[in-house]
This record gives sequence, structure tokens and C-alpha cells, in this order.
Amino acid sequence: MRSVTVLAIVLVFVAVVGPYLAPYDPVAIDIPKRLSRPSAEFLLGTDALGRDILSRLLYGAQWSLGLAFLISFIGLCLGTAIGLVAALGGKWVDWAVMRTTDTFLAFPDLVAAVVIAGLMGAGTWSLIFALSVTGWMRYARVARGIGLSLETRGYVIQAKLAGLSSLSIARWHYLPSLLPSLTVVWTGMFARAILGISALGFLGFGVQPPVPEWGTMLLDARIHMRSTPLQMIWPGIAVVACVLAINLAGDALRDTLADKENR
Amino acid sequence: MIASLLGLFLRAFVVLSGTALLTFALLWFAPGDPAQAIAMARYDAIVTEEIVDLVRKEAGLDVGFWPAFLSWVGPLVLLDFGNSSVTGRDVWPDMLAAVYYTVPLALAGLFIGLAIALPLAVLATKQPGGLLDRCAVALASLGAAVPAYWLGLLLILLFAVQLGWLPAIGARTPAHAVLPALTLGLGVASSLTRIIRSGILEARGQPFLPAIRRRGVADRKISRDHVAPHAAIPVVTVFGLELAFLLEGAVMVEVIFGRPGLGTFLVTAIESRDFPQVQAVVILTALLFVVVNLLIDLIYRAIDPRIGERNA
Repeated sequence: MRSVTVLAIVLVFVAVVGPYLAPYDPVAIDIPKRLSRPSAEFLLGTDALGRDILSRLLYGAQWSLGLAFLISFIGLCLGTAIGLVAALGGKWVDWAVMRTTDTFLAFPDLVAAVVIAGLMGAGTWSLIFALSVTGWMRYARVARGIGLSLETRGYVIQAKLAGLSSLSIARWHYLPSLLPSLTVVWTGMFARAILGISALGFLGFGVQPPVPEWGTMLLDARIHMRSTPLQMIWPGIAVVACVLAINLAGDALRDTLADKENR
Repeated sequence: MIASLLGLFLRAFVVLSGTALLTFALLWFAPGDPAQAIAMARYDAIVTEEIVDLVRKEAGLDVGFWPAFLSWVGPLVLLDFGNSSVTGRDVWPDMLAAVYYTVPLALAGLFIGLAIALPLAVLATKQPGGLLDRCAVALASLGAAVPAYWLGLLLILLFAVQLGWLPAIGARTPAHAVLPALTLGLGVASSLTRIIRSGILEARGQPFLPAIRRRGVADRKISRDHVAPHAAIPVVTVFGLELAFLLEGAVMVEVIFGRPGLGTFLVTAIESRDFPQVQAVVILTALLFVVVNLLIDLIYRAIDPRIGERNA
């Protein structure tokens, strides 16, 4: 659990403070210094337009982590709401909602996101929309599953008998029981969103240049693979490090919750 | 039994119709005038209002949402995806040509993944918590975090640029397929390792195993007859998930390696706003998914008799 806390602090710290640590302006073009190798002046070298890669990485953290947070949070709200509607809505609503969820799940979500973002026209808003619309199903399934298991609990039955509306039962009785499991799902989806953002950026359907997003940086770096191979390494390491860290944090969180339940 | 099978098919049908409707709605309501987009992709110049109107009429976009949807979904049942709005060619043969590049790639990826993951997971679980086991877990965690396209780029950098052993771009010779297949395979290996490993461990923890062992059944026989079938259940599930991974991976990998497969076909179609092509790929993917998931459900029933009973 301690590692999770430390990690969360580090990630938030980098995303918030990163731009202040950056030695240069991430979009300042300096053609004479283009494609320079790592040196004391440019710790990680420069890209094809002479922009400092370290600065772009640090600013990029805001985009990659911030957008991933936003996207996974939208998914969390959307999915939980949909799952609770299924759990509380009765048999037919449940059937309809779950078949809709199946329909969305019947598709590799990254491919769906590529189609949606591509057709909406590349840009940050399309990216957010595409990844949120394809990222709510797991929350919905978990929320519905737990919701249905709560239906026969004494306090839920009493609340129903007392005449509480479905909305307040969902808010006061279901949501607190859902939160631990949903948080675990959320870590997985957060990591997935980071991967999705960079993949869409890499395909050119995501955040548009000159914004220093990690996937877009990889797209730029790919062309200059022969002359400056290292340029391609850094953004990749950033993505892998974040995703790995978040996944491990999710595992730790899940184990802690499982321990609590077993006790 | 028959009722639950019918239920499965009904579900598959509902999911497939839903996908068709969603795809069409997405294309219909996407920002920007589709007719204008098609005209621009086709004539590659500044188009007049008159041309856009003609295109709209020709593409059947002037009749409103539901009529347009029905006239599109009808022929779809016969796998008639219509003509490309850009080239005017029949979509189906062009897409099939792309599929011929993607299927062998996906199968090779799956094969490489299995060839790495199965021995690794079996050896790792011989001594849970041992060095090999921890390596397997670390590899699996790392693999889940490495994006397929970055891994592909790294492999190109190492084997094509630095060492010069293998070609990177294109699909002319079998050697061109090595790096893309390896990229996909390593991704598959990491997730399969994790799942097979936990499948074996969970099967080992089953309460009936000590009972069988006390009856004097040989360890080898226990592994084969009792542990393996149990471990097979999550592995079957994973093939469904792996399919998603393979398709997503194929999109990225084909784009990186310049292979003219389904992924490249899709990305090109999106960029030129070729709606019939995009729709065809989406429907084909969804169809593949529904069929595979249906098969998986049926296989479950064959392996694990408890599942059929529970749902019935």
C-alpha cells in the first residue's frame, strides 16, 4: 500500500511540476541545433526541429497523464451509472443494458477508438470522446455484478421498504460498496488510457502537434531512427514506466482489498 | 441445453445488429458533411456544391437516417459491403486481399506467443516464487506495459537498422514477416504467460487434488488428467481476449511495418473517409468477435459441464 501512495505522489508531482523543471520551452524551434545527441546542453538531445526532448517529455507528462486521468474518470462515472441502472432497473432494463455493453465489448476497444477518433477528425476532443466511449464497459460490468449481489442484503431491502428512491439507494447503499472494486478497475483503465492516447497519437489521430504528447513524439522520432535512434527510446520509456507503475499499483491495491475481505 | 444454445445465438445476433447500428450512426453523425468528405477524397480538389450534391445522391446519403441504414444493412447479410466511395471498386475483394496479409501474421503471432508462454508458465509453476517464476511474472508485467508499436520500432532499430539482419518495411518476402510476427508474438506471450501461470496455480489449489493424491495416483497423471483441464478454462477465455489483442496489435504493427493488411486498410480508409470500407472492416471485426466468442462459450460447455447447468 505504501508503494501505491508513493507512486501516486510521484506521478502527480511529475505531471504538475514537470513543466517547471523543464529547462527549455517545449515548442521552441531551433533549427541549427536540430537532431543533436544528448549533451550537457540538451540532456536527452533535440528532435528534428531542434526542440529539447527532455522538456517535451516533461510537458508531455501533463498531456499523457492528465488526459488519461480525465478519460478513465469519465469512463468510471459513465460505466458506474450504466451498471447501476442495470442492477436497479429490473429484468428487462438489465437485459437491454447488458446487451448494449456486450455490443461495445464485441469490439477491440483500441480499434473502435481509432475509428471514432479518425472519423471525428483528429484532435484532443475526439481523442477524449473516442477513448471514453470505448472505456466504460468494465466498470459497468463490475458495478452491475456487485449491485446484483447487494440486492438481497438486509439493509438494501430495508431501504427499499422504507420507500427510498432507486437513486438514493444507488448513492447511499450501492456506491460505497462498489468503490473499492471500481478503484482497482480504474487503475487498469488509467494505464490503458495512457496506452490508448499514445497509440492514437502515434497514428496521427490523437493530440495534434506541436503539443508534446508522447505518442506524437514517437511518430516524429520514427522518421529519424537512423540518425538519432535515442530520440525514439525516451518517450517509449516514459509510457512503459507509467503504465508499469500504475499496473503494479493496481495489483497492490487489489491484494490489499482481498486481504481485507478475507479477514 | 437447446434453450441455452438458442440464447447464445440470440445474444450473438443482437450484438451484431447493435454493432451495425452503432457503426452506421457513428458515420452518419460524425462531424462534417460525409458527401463533401467523399467528394474531396475522390476528386482531390476544391469541389463545388453541385458535385457534393451529386455525390450525396449517388452514395444514397440524401434519404434520411433509417432508409439509408436499411438500404445498407440489407445487402450486408449477403456480405455485400458495396463499393468504395473513393475508388468505386467493390470493397469485399480489396478487403479480402488485406485479410490475406493479416491472418497469417496474427496466427504467427499467436503461435510465437504460445511457444514462449506455455513452456515458460509450466516451468515457472514448478517452483512458485522461485527465480524462474519471478522472472516470468516480471516479464509478463513488463510485456503488458510495452505498447506494440514501440516494441515494433525497437525491433526495427535493433534487427533492421543496427544489425541489418532483417528487412523492416513492406511484405514482399517471408523475411518481411519475421519482425511483425515477433512484435505481436512477444505481446501475446506476456499476457498468455500471466494467465496460464495463474490458471495452473489455481488448478493446483483445488481441494480435490490432495484427495486424489492420497489415493495414490501418480503426480504425472494428476497433472495431465486433473490440473490441465482446470487450467484450460481460463486459457480458453484468454483466446477471446487474445483475439482483441491480435487485431489491435495487427493494426499498429501493420502501420509500422508498412504491411498492406487489414490495419493499414482501415487506417487508409479512415484517412480518406471511405465510409463503405470503414464499415466493412468494423462489421467484419465484430462478426469475427461474435463468432469466436460463441465458439468459446460452446467450448466452455464441452470442457466444464458446470457452466451449462448454471446458466440453464
